[in-house]
Amino acid sequence: MSADLSESVVPPSTESGGPSSGPSRRTVIATGVVVGGAVVAGGTFLAGSEEAAAAGASPSSRVSLTVNGTRRTVTVDNRTSLLDLLREHLDLTGSKKGCNAGACGACTVLVDGQRVNSCLTLAVRLEGAEVVTIEGLAEGDRLHPLQQAFIDEDAFQCGYCTPGQIMSGVGCIQEGHTDSPEEIREYMSGNVCRCGCYVKIVRAVEQTAARK
Amino acid sequence: MSPQPQSAVGAPLSRVDGRLKVTGKAEYAAEHDIKGAVHAVIVDASIGRGRIRSIDTRAAEKHAGVLRVIHHRNAPKLPYRDNPGSNNPTGRRLRVFQDDLVLFHGQPVAVVVATTLEAAQHGASLVKVAYNAEQPSTDISKAEPGAPVPYARGDAEAGLRSSAVRLDLTYALARNHHNPMEPHATVARWDGDRLTVWDKTQWIVGTHDEIAAVFDLPSDAVRVINPFVGGGFGSGLRCWPHTIVAALAARVTRRPVKLVLSRKQMYFGTGFRPAYAYRLRLGSDRRGRLNAAIHDFDAETSSYETFFEAAGAPGQMLYSMPNVSQAYRQVPLDVNTPIWMRGPGFATGSYVIESALDELAHELGIDPIELRRRNEPEEDPSNDLPFSTRRLRECYTVGAREFGWDRRSQQPRARREGDWLIGMGMAAGVYHSGSNAAQARVRLDADGTALVETASSDMGPGTYTSQTQVAADALGLTMRAVTFRLGDSLYPPTPPHGGSQTMASVGSAVLDGCDQVRRQAIELAVGDEESPLYGVNADDVVVRNGRLHVQGTPARGETYKSLLARNGRSHLEARGSYAGPAQPERHSISAYNATFAEVAVDATLGLVRVRRMLGVYDAGRIISPKLAESQAIGGIVGGIGQALLEHTVTDHRDGRIVNASLADYLVPVNADVPEVGVIYLDGDDPDGNALGVKGLGEVVLVGVAPAIANAVFNATGRRVRELPITAEALL
Repeated sequence: MSADLSESVVPPSTESGGPSSGPSRRTVIATGVVVGGAVVAGGTFLAGSEEAAAAGASPSSRVSLTVNGTRRTVTVDNRTSLLDLLREHLDLTGSKKGCNAGACGACTVLVDGQRVNSCLTLAVRLEGAEVVTIEGLAEGDRLHPLQQAFIDEDAFQCGYCTPGQIMSGVGCIQEGHTDSPEEIREYMSGNVCRCGCYVKIVRAVEQTAARK
Repeated sequence: MSPQPQSAVGAPLSRVDGRLKVTGKAEYAAEHDIKGAVHAVIVDASIGRGRIRSIDTRAAEKHAGVLRVIHHRNAPKLPYRDNPGSNNPTGRRLRVFQDDLVLFHGQPVAVVVATTLEAAQHGASLVKVAYNAEQPSTDISKAEPGAPVPYARGDAEAGLRSSAVRLDLTYALARNHHNPMEPHATVARWDGDRLTVWDKTQWIVGTHDEIAAVFDLPSDAVRVINPFVGGGFGSGLRCWPHTIVAALAARVTRRPVKLVLSRKQMYFGTGFRPAYAYRLRLGSDRRGRLNAAIHDFDAETSSYETFFEAAGAPGQMLYSMPNVSQAYRQVPLDVNTPIWMRGPGFATGSYVIESALDELAHELGIDPIELRRRNEPEEDPSNDLPFSTRRLRECYTVGAREFGWDRRSQQPRARREGDWLIGMGMAAGVYHSGSNAAQARVRLDADGTALVETASSDMGPGTYTSQTQVAADALGLTMRAVTFRLGDSLYPPTPPHGGSQTMASVGSAVLDGCDQVRRQAIELAVGDEESPLYGVNADDVVVRNGRLHVQGTPARGETYKSLLARNGRSHLEARGSYAGPAQPERHSISAYNATFAEVAVDATLGLVRVRRMLGVYDAGRIISPKLAESQAIGGIVGGIGQALLEHTVTDHRDGRIVNASLADYLVPVNADVPEVGVIYLDGDDPDGNALGVKGLGEVVLVGVAPAIANAVFNATGRRVRELPITAEALL
C-alpha cells in the first residue's frame, strides 16, 4: 500500500572499530570495565551457553560495545544478531522480535544515534558502537518525554511494538521529520502496530517534537 | 451497577500497566527468565500432503550445541485425551510427532533442541526429511465442500421469485492472518511430574486444560502463566501444536525449553480467518423493503477439523425480512485449521450484506442510510426476542451528521480532485454480545489496599486497567489502592479472552467479588459498637477513598484500615462469580455500529487511499473511555487491512503459503491510516449484565471493510466484490 520507507533501517557505523577489533576465537572473556569512573558490574560474561562454547565449533568473535551507557565486552556467536544479543544474552528483552526480517520495526534501537532494526544487525559488526535500547531511555524514574507521551495519548495497546515505536519516534524527532502529521506518518511507517494505534502514535511524536 | 459512587468507571484514565510497557519491562511469553532454558526450533514439513519416508538427523546432531532432534520415530507416545470443554473444533486434532502423516505444508515434523538459539536454528536447517509427497488440495474453488449447515425461515426461494427487485451477487474474501506483533511462544519447564508453561495464549484455562489432556496429567500438575499478550486478535484462542512440542521437548531433554515461532511459522503454526466464496441473492420491493435472502457460502477448513464461525448470524438478524435461507459449507482442505479472527464470522457476513445493500440502494436510487432505516427490525427476526438495546438509527443520525454524509453524491464518480476520485461509503456493523461464567478472587488487606485475581488475559484492550476501574469503584478505593492480577491458571477461572466477552464475564465476577467484600466490611462496621457506623442500616453506607460513611453524611464514618485493625482482621476476602447469561435468553443482545469512510482512488493507477473514517458505536456502558477509543481506532485499522491489503496467498501446486512474512502479507502501516473518528453513544444496556456493557473488541472491526468498499464504488463507479480490493481490480 504505502511505500515502507527505509529510514528505520540504517546500517550502523562500523568505522569506529579498528583492525584490532576483528573476530577472535576466544571463548571466555573476563573483563571489569570502568565507565565514567564507575566500576560496572555485569560486564563479564560469555554470550552464549558455555556448553556450546565448550564444543568449540561455532565461530565466535569478541566485540566491545556500549549498551545503555555500560561498556560490555562480549564473545558472540558470529550468527548472533544485535537483537538476540540483547534479548538472549544481556537480559534486555525490551527490544522485541516481531519478524526477524526487518519488516516490522519492533526491534528498533539506536546505534550511534541512528535508528536501526537490531534484528538485521549482526552483533559482531558493532565494535565500539553506542547502543541505546528502550531500557536506557528513561533517566532513573523520570520517563523520556516520548515514553510519557505514549502513556498520556494511549499510543499503544498490547505494548509489543511499543519499545520499537518509541525508539523509532526518538530517531524520527532527532532527524527532524516531524513537521506535519503526514511527515510523521511516513517516517514512522517502518514500525508496524497491529493493534492499530497509529493515530495516537503520531500525536505522541508530534507533541514530543513540539516540546523540544 | 452497584450503589457505589462511580469515579473510576467512565473516567478517561491512562493504562495502569503503561509504565511497564513503555519501558520494555512488561514480560511477554518468551521473555520470562527461566534458569537453564535451552532453545527449540521446529522443522516444518516442506510438502503439502503425504508421508515422511525418512528423517536424517545426523548433521543436525553433530552441530555444536544441538542436544536432541525429536521427531515421530523417537518421540514418546502422548495420550491426547479428549478435551470436550476446549475450543478444539470437531474432528481429530493434530498430534505432534505421533505418526508419519503430513496433513499440510509447514506441519511440525521435528524439533531441534540446542543450547543456543543460533545452534537450534542452524540445526533445524540441517535436518533432512524425505517424503512420499501427494498433491495437496488447497483451492477452495476446486475442492469438494462438506454437508451444508442450514438455516431457514419463511420460503426464501418463493420470496425471491416474487420480489420486484432481485440481486444475485458473488463475493470472494481472502484468507487473513491475525499477525499479532508478538509471535506465539512457549517456555516449558518440568519439575518432576509437574509442568509449568509460560505461553502466549488468550485463554489460560483452555491452554491449561489442553496440556493436561494431551499429556494426561492431573489438573493441578499443570500451571500456565502469561501476564502479557503481545496482541492476539483470536490467534491465541486455542492451544496450538507448538505449545505441546515445547512441553514434549522439555520432557525429553529434561531441560526447560523455550520455543518461539518464526513469523513465517505463524502462518501455518496458528490459525487464520478462512477464505470464503459467498453468493447472496437478495429480493426487495421497489421501495427497498427486503423480502428474501438466500445465502450460499463456502469457507475453508482443514482436513482434520471442521471449523465453524458465526458467518451466517448477521444475515439472520441484521435486517427485517420474512424469508431467509442459508447454506454454510465448510470445505476441507490440506491446510492447518482456521481460528476465529477479530469479529469472527460477522466481519465476513456483514461485508457481504452491507455491500449488497449498497448495490440495492444504488439500484433503487435510495440513500444507503435510508434503505437501512426502512429495514430496521423491531425485534430480532432470527429468534423473535426483543432487543435489549439497539440504537442503530441513532448511530446513523449521529454518524451522518458528524461525517458530513450530506456532502456525498448519490451518483458515483461525481467528485474528482486532480488524479483522485473521491467517494464516501457507509455500513452497519453488529456483533453478538456474549458472556460466560467467570470467577474472581478479591482480598481487602488491613492496610486498606486490595488485590483482585482472575485467570483472564490482556492482549491489548486494557483488561488490567478497566478491571481495576470496576474494582476500585465497587470497593470504594482509589485506582492506586487496587492491584489487579491476571494470566495465571492458579487464579480463578475465566472464559476465553476473545469474542468481546471479557468485561461482561470477568468484569461481572470482579464486581460481584468486590461488592461482597465491601458488604462484609459494612456489616462488620454497623455491627461493631466501637464503630461510628454502629447501628446504621447497611444499605445506607457507602465507601469512598477507602473510608466507609453514611450516604449523605460523610462526617460519620471510618476507614477500612481502622475498622480491620480494631477488629483484628488481617483481611477480608470473597470469591466473586458470574454465572453466565440468563437461560433461556430473554433479550437479543448485540453491539452495533455505523461506520463511515471517505476514500480517494487514483483514476489511473487504481490505488486506494483511505482519507477519513468515523465509527459510531452502540456498545453499552463504556468502562474505560480512553482505552475504548484506542480499541475502536484499532478495529478500524484492522478493517482497513481487511478491505485493502490483507491476503494470504497459497501456491496450490504444493500448498505453500507464498507470502508468509510481514514484508509480503501487507498490514496497514502508519501512512495508511488517516484521522479516525470514534463516537460511543452514551448509555448502558441493563439487560445483559450488571455492568451494562455489550463488548467492544469485535464490533469495532465489523462494518469497516464494506464501508470502504462502498466508498470505493461511490468514488469510481466500479463494484469490486472481492477482498482485499486491490489496484489490479480497479484498473
